[in-house]
Amino acid sequence: MRETLHPAYLAVSLVAGLLFGAGLYIAQMTDPLVVLGFLDFGAITTGGWNPSLALVIVPAIGVMMLGVRYAGTRARPLFEHKFFHPERTDIDTPLVGGAVLFGIGWGMSGICPGPAITLIGFMPENLWIFLGAMFLGSFLGHYVLEAFNRRELIASAPAE
Amino acid sequence: MEAISIWPPLVGGLLIGLASAVLWIGNGRIAGISGLFGQLLPPARTVIWRFVFLGAMIAGGLLAALAAPGLFPGFSAPTPELVGSPVWIAAAGLLVGLGTKIGNGCTSGHGVCGLARFSKRSFVSVIVFFSVAIATVAITGVV
Repeated sequence: MRETLHPAYLAVSLVAGLLFGAGLYIAQMTDPLVVLGFLDFGAITTGGWNPSLALVIVPAIGVMMLGVRYAGTRARPLFEHKFFHPERTDIDTPLVGGAVLFGIGWGMSGICPGPAITLIGFMPENLWIFLGAMFLGSFLGHYVLEAFNRRELIASAPAE
Repeated sequence: MEAISIWPPLVGGLLIGLASAVLWIGNGRIAGISGLFGQLLPPARTVIWRFVFLGAMIAGGLLAALAAPGLFPGFSAPTPELVGSPVWIAAAGLLVGLGTKIGNGCTSGHGVCGLARFSKRSFVSVIVFFSVAIATVAITGVV
């Protein structure tokens, strides 16, 4: 597929990126201790639990729901020929297995991909280790997925 | 522990939702950060908008750091620091990259965009990764 290079298309990417990074910082989702402070449910009873993440995700989903609803009234986006809807609806092993691995990494570090990228502007110590490992993991994941899909294909092939 | 002001997280969440809506309505793209950077590598074909978005995210964070103390009285944000040893950080990063690639999304793509689209796959993903992350912190503690 040819890459869309319409100036308005790139302007939308720019504005959305600026808003996203600013939102993450203002919400303090770029601070691993704030995120870990939310995931630390043990602290709910002992005090010191940080509810920030819940306060972030509710308006984020709410505004996006309005956006999705408005987009639903349009045949196509403003600057692209179609909406890139994720097409799959089935619950498969990679979806669940991937979420488990991601959950462990997120719980260990308090960093998910958005904050990892936004933190580049602040370059805390050892961030490059996290980023390098994250890119490597994503690269390896591509082959894990391919291997899984190959196996599925073989398993679903009709017997001779 | 000092009281947490509810305004920065609410406003931040609003901006994240707005960013996702703008990208969806304007360009028909899901603002899923793991997918955005995961497809920078070959055989990716649409890379320029991804670099623009990711670069703008970095700039947006820096601009917000300048503006936030003026916008929110009492806003104090220590310079973020990563937790744990270098090996711990590397293991966590590897798992985040691997898991989001295999599971096709992270907190933004599944958590914000997917739930807002009532995606069954995203709902399952979010339940699993939140539960596992909470369990991980319960086991390892905040290192």
